[in-house]
Amino acid sequence: MIETALLYLFCAASLAGGVLMLVLRHPMRVALALIATMLSLAAIYALLGVHVIAVFQVLIYVGAVMVFMVYVIMLLDVRDRSFVERYSGMLVPGVIGGAVFAVVLALLGLSGGAAAPGAPGTAPFALQPFAAAFLNDYWLYFELTSVLLVIAVVAALAVIKERGDKLG
Amino acid sequence: MGILTLIVVLPLAGFVVNGLLATRVAANPLGKGFVTTVACGLPIVSFALAVKCFVDLLAAGGTAIVETAFVWTQVAGSRFDIAFYFDRLTAVMVLIVTGVGSLIHVYSTGYMKEDASYGRYFAYLNLFLFFMLMLVLGRSLLVLFVGWEGVGLASYLLIGFWFEDADKAAAGKKAFITNRIGDAGFLLGMFLLYFAFGTLDMDVINAAFLATPAPAVSASVVGVLLFIGASGKSAQIPLHVWLPDAMAGPTPVSALIHAATMVTAGVYLVARMHGIYLHAPEASALIAGIGAATAFFAATIAVAQTDIKKVLAYSTLSQLGFMFVALGVGAYGVAIFHLYTHAFFKACLFLGAGSVIHALGGKQDIMHMGGLARRIPVTFVTFAIATAAIAGFPYMSGFFSKDEILWFAFASERGGSTALYAVMAVTALLTSFYMFRLLWLTFLGTSRMDHETEHHVHESPLSMTSVLAVLAVLSAVGGFLALPHFLEPVLPLAKARESLHALEKPLMYVAISVFALGLAGAWLFYRGNGALAARMAPSFAGLNKILFNKYYIDELYDRVLGRPLVWISERAFLGFGDRFLIDGTLNGLARLAHSGAGVLARVQTGNLQMYLWLVLIGSLACLAWGLRYV
Amino acid sequence: MDKTQLLLAVSFGLFAIGLTGVVVRRNVLVMLMCMELMLNAVNLALVTFAQQGASTIGAVLVFLIFVVAASEIAIAIPIVLLLIRRGRTLDIGAYTVLKG
Repeated sequence: MIETALLYLFCAASLAGGVLMLVLRHPMRVALALIATMLSLAAIYALLGVHVIAVFQVLIYVGAVMVFMVYVIMLLDVRDRSFVERYSGMLVPGVIGGAVFAVVLALLGLSGGAAAPGAPGTAPFALQPFAAAFLNDYWLYFELTSVLLVIAVVAALAVIKERGDKLG
Repeated sequence: MGILTLIVVLPLAGFVVNGLLATRVAANPLGKGFVTTVACGLPIVSFALAVKCFVDLLAAGGTAIVETAFVWTQVAGSRFDIAFYFDRLTAVMVLIVTGVGSLIHVYSTGYMKEDASYGRYFAYLNLFLFFMLMLVLGRSLLVLFVGWEGVGLASYLLIGFWFEDADKAAAGKKAFITNRIGDAGFLLGMFLLYFAFGTLDMDVINAAFLATPAPAVSASVVGVLLFIGASGKSAQIPLHVWLPDAMAGPTPVSALIHAATMVTAGVYLVARMHGIYLHAPEASALIAGIGAATAFFAATIAVAQTDIKKVLAYSTLSQLGFMFVALGVGAYGVAIFHLYTHAFFKACLFLGAGSVIHALGGKQDIMHMGGLARRIPVTFVTFAIATAAIAGFPYMSGFFSKDEILWFAFASERGGSTALYAVMAVTALLTSFYMFRLLWLTFLGTSRMDHETEHHVHESPLSMTSVLAVLAVLSAVGGFLALPHFLEPVLPLAKARESLHALEKPLMYVAISVFALGLAGAWLFYRGNGALAARMAPSFAGLNKILFNKYYIDELYDRVLGRPLVWISERAFLGFGDRFLIDGTLNGLARLAHSGAGVLARVQTGNLQMYLWLVLIGSLACLAWGLRYV
Repeated sequence: MDKTQLLLAVSFGLFAIGLTGVVVRRNVLVMLMCMELMLNAVNLALVTFAQQGASTIGAVLVFLIFVVAASEIAIAIPIVLLLIRRGRTLDIGAYTVLKG
């Protein structure tokens, strides 16, 4: 009972965060709205029982991605034209398109009915089976992710190098 | 290769050889001697072959020699061959063409010696000879028509020989275009004949017309159509305008093409197709009428001309008119007889004029000549003989042929009348008058030349004077050959009305007196320094002006035909049809593509969010489709 | 409405909001954050579906999305920073090099 109420609460919160992202002017505030959405999603994952994913959500998304984002916002001068005029020329078409998109998606996705057989369980997301499966059956993707991360590091270094040259 | 084909093809070989090797483009590597040998030698060989054929023909008693060169095409049951046909009429024509042609080739070697385009000239002359021989030797109207068009082409090339001068080039164009107008009539006549008979062989068609049940096709219509073609080629009214302008070409060309051979092609055509005209009294009357009108009209103009070649050109028009009058009254053999004598004396006159022009270094205005008789005696004597022949000096060639024409114009059963005779007699008087006027003003009397030209005057080289001599002799004695009787098996003799037979001798005396009157008149007006003519000139100034300007016919054609056509071309076809419709459509399509592209290019704004929005719309469309169908 | 449908609805809603945000907002960094929001929405949908199956592949996919999102942001932000160095403004309207 309370779980359902909390679920509804956090769902509403994430949606509210999303809407605030569209509306707020200062990028810092937008970042904070996004953090709120992400935390609500983490709560939803926790309510679903997939605590692993919830933790990952907070650690990676909020802890790494959003921190990086906040750093960058703080470094830059945000008071330019994009601050004065929040919205681009595509405001009206964008809003209409987005609304129609949401409606069509809903019609497509939700009409399937409650076809899900089992109630959400915790079985697939238990940590031990998950780790075992990840490193045994899906080890290729694990290695590939490490490659991806190396690429990211290299790219970051390349960017730094250019900035260094420019400054020097 | 048969002998007839050889006669036709030899000049073509000359054209090809000289055309490829001797023109300025090819830098004439083989020299004038080679060109002369090829160009003059081949026509002489053709003439020799023609003589041989003629002898063979007489030996065979006059039956025609027929030779098929090759089959051109066979289409759905009808067969068109290139065949040659040699009977008495053809013999006369071929001998004239090759004989006089060869003489004029020899003359040209002297006349065109200094010209830079010596090789090209002879190439064209040989080409002309090839087409003319094809014309006279052809068995079917198709082969004749090929020759017809070909001589028109050769005429254009030779009239505009000095094409760097725009006026001369324009004269060439005028000749060709006027001929083409006549050819339209000719083609229609040919179509009718083919439709009626299924063949274009002239001997077959003639036989069909002469046979007792007359054929279904209207002889008058065909006759008129063929005559339209003939009047284009033989320069009768109203298609006569090109012949005086054709004097822009070299003088030997005028002699060959516009006196002796090409312009007589129309006369030959009508004579050959006499079967049609025997059944078409309306067409024959038309021919006689137009012939008489042209003869008189041209003679009046010739009286007032001052360019030596123009006088001779109008004289040619007039004499052609005589030939057509003969054809119109059914005296076909007589017309050919006059064609034959005319070839001699007119060629001699033109070549003599060429000799005068050569002597004076290029001048052609008779008002600034005079007193040349002593300076260039050979030219004078030959010119005088030829003038006497054309005017009708008794027993010279012109006398016989012209007298016969006048007789049949008066007395023929097929259209002879007093009115026709009167017109032709007056024309003969004018002929005598203007020819002797020409003789006096050019050769006799006091000299009106300027000093430098006078100093320059010299007799022409042997290549030119020898030819003049030969032609003068032929003009004098050529008439003794009774051609109409020789041609009788092919061209039936005209019949004179019985009641008028008694008048034959008196009319001959009239003809002689006409000649004498003309001579006397010319002597009176133009002897000495032309004092009498000069005194009388002011009282006839208006008439003189009209005659000198050829009755302003060219200006009339320009105003009535030329300008509206140019207007239609420029306004209707160029301005509206071409620029507005065609270019407009194309440009409009291009503009449409351009503006369409412009509209589509609005998508490329460089605005990233716009592109994303378009992706959104696209995926929306896919989802919507999935919603409906999946 | 049962849980699955609710979660899916939230997912679709967040996705639509994110997409709209990329199209309508002018600030480059805000556009990036909206793209993050879209990734989160997808993650939510994936978790919802993965929960219903017995296989672990759903979980693996979710984890992979986390990794990808992280590395993506690690590269995207420096690129944007380089861009801003040239253009000296955070306004996306100033960058129209793709025009024409």
